[in-house]
Amino acid sequence: MAKKLYIFGIGGTGSRVIKSLVMLLASGCKLKNDFDTVVPIIIDPDTSNGDLNRTKDILKLYQEIRNQVHQPEDFFSQEIKTVNELANKSTIVNSDYFQFNLNDVDQNTFSQYIGFNSLDTDYKNSNDDKNFTRLLYSEKNLNSNLNVGFKGNPNMGAIVLNQFTDSGDFKRFGQTFNDGDAIFIINSIFGGTGAAGFPLLLKNLRGNSDIPNSPKIKDAIIGGITYLPYFALNKKDEVNSDSFEDKAKIAIDYYNRTIIKQNKINYLYFIGNKGNTKHFEYAVGGKEQKNNAHFLELAGALAICDFCENINKTNNETQIKEFGIENNTDSIIFSDLNLNNQKQISKHLTKYKLFSEYLKIGLPKSLNVSRWTKSNIILVKKTENSFLDQKYFNSSEYKIQIFAFNNHFLSWLLEMEDNKPSFSPFNSISWNDALNLIKGEQLQKRCKSFKTIDIENCKLITSIDLRPTQDTIHTPLIKLFGKSTENVLNHFNLLKQENNG
Amino acid sequence: MNNLFATIYEALFGLYEAKFSLIFDTLFDYGGYNLLGFTFLVIPLMMFAGFYFLWKYPYGKFWHWLLWLIITFIITSGISLGISNNEIFLSENQQLIDALADPESGYEQYAYTLPLKYAFFNGLLSLIIGFLYSLILKQFSKIQIHLPF
Repeated sequence: MAKKLYIFGIGGTGSRVIKSLVMLLASGCKLKNDFDTVVPIIIDPDTSNGDLNRTKDILKLYQEIRNQVHQPEDFFSQEIKTVNELANKSTIVNSDYFQFNLNDVDQNTFSQYIGFNSLDTDYKNSNDDKNFTRLLYSEKNLNSNLNVGFKGNPNMGAIVLNQFTDSGDFKRFGQTFNDGDAIFIINSIFGGTGAAGFPLLLKNLRGNSDIPNSPKIKDAIIGGITYLPYFALNKKDEVNSDSFEDKAKIAIDYYNRTIIKQNKINYLYFIGNKGNTKHFEYAVGGKEQKNNAHFLELAGALAICDFCENINKTNNETQIKEFGIENNTDSIIFSDLNLNNQKQISKHLTKYKLFSEYLKIGLPKSLNVSRWTKSNIILVKKTENSFLDQKYFNSSEYKIQIFAFNNHFLSWLLEMEDNKPSFSPFNSISWNDALNLIKGEQLQKRCKSFKTIDIENCKLITSIDLRPTQDTIHTPLIKLFGKSTENVLNHFNLLKQENNG
Repeated sequence: MNNLFATIYEALFGLYEAKFSLIFDTLFDYGGYNLLGFTFLVIPLMMFAGFYFLWKYPYGKFWHWLLWLIITFIITSGISLGISNNEIFLSENQQLIDALADPESGYEQYAYTLPLKYAFFNGLLSLIIGFLYSLILKQFSKIQIHLPF
């Protein structure tokens, strides 16, 4: 039975983990146990957040590309949909639908949001008390603009996020929820939005009877990943990364009492990295908050894969999982991951890396020269001509979708490489040594250039059904490279096969 | 085949000279024409089979094909030169041997002009045959199907 996985990404960390998951899915990773559709839902009041908007853009590109591929089996094989598409049976791709709207956070300060000025100071003769509120919220809290998030203050987040279950988006989520569907929540424990949003969301999922299909949601299998501090900021101001650890400890204690001990969640993954961290550029939110991708976000995406793989092994108790790697190193390569993770991602990431690097470095040499890029071959059967000609590579669909997505993919890898700990499984490559791309794998064979890909493409261009229709113009490119990169990397014994269990 | 090849060289290219019929009779009777004919048929076939099925170069352009054709012309001409030289000057036909040895007959002087002509015409034939082979072989080629066009 086809099932859906709803992934709630709360705050900036939520967005970045979803981005990593999308990259894995684009490269051909698939969720196990019949989860055929991923429904990402981002909850973030900071609507101009750089991380959020980049993730929304990537999700939109993924959908646009996938919609243009007929029955993808390799790259982009996992379906991603928005709640809006599911509820309205619509096919409109709109990046805004990946985010749940929060009311009244656009232009308001926190004090306006809670109606602080209308509170009474005479607590004896009134139901409310301005001074008591002052005990809970500092002047800075009260004057803080909500459109850049909660600046690491979960006490604010807990109030504002409590409303999102009343939203139309959340109701549509309930309407589309079916038996067998599962939920995964991503949050960071050391910030504002994620730390506050996670317990609130869980509480509503497990107990809010106003949500449509609430009995199904209440009993659904829910997993979550909580990020412990894994980066620091290069400036101490409204958000001070020195407080991350203390905030994390307090929040863990709270989670332990209210979530774990009460078995409110089936799987809870913890992940963090103490000490060995890089200082990110300081930003309290908004478009400046665009943190570089981090290996731990990829590990978070792997937690989602693990959750789906082990979903049938749940019991009544919360299972706690932690992520680890085999070798403690500053520069992680595939062989430093545990064998299961290696098999999960190395094949797919290598294939997609080769694909995207080829389009960047290799294509100019073969375009309109190599037969797989030529559509004007005469005195042959019509089917011998390629659809992947200059016209296709000059098309706006290719440039705006494939080229743009691949740029995001390559930037994502570069950012992880530049971070600490660095995830750098790939060598930088040139045309001549394109297949020397995996660190730790020294190729003995002579021809390591992109020529091998071109040869393989020439062989495959007519052997598999790559004909596009008007609505699926990326079918030839995506299917051709899914196969050709696999054949070439297999030929050079560079692929570790994925577990099918 | 012998008749066909003889017709090509003697009638089509007009190489036959009645005054020196011994040479042409020898080429006909001793299998010389067959050898020359197979040369212009087989060498382009081998060359273009290699071009379309063994040469794994995915960036082949028209000039690569043209160069291949020129090489085919040169090889065919070279081998044809050798064959026609052999067939004429090392013939087992005693009458021809005698005629070539007789300076008065003019045979030797005329015979020396022939191998170059056979080489040239065979080269020319290899260009035509090579082009035709290209049109056929490219249908089955995975990498050079787009050549010559």
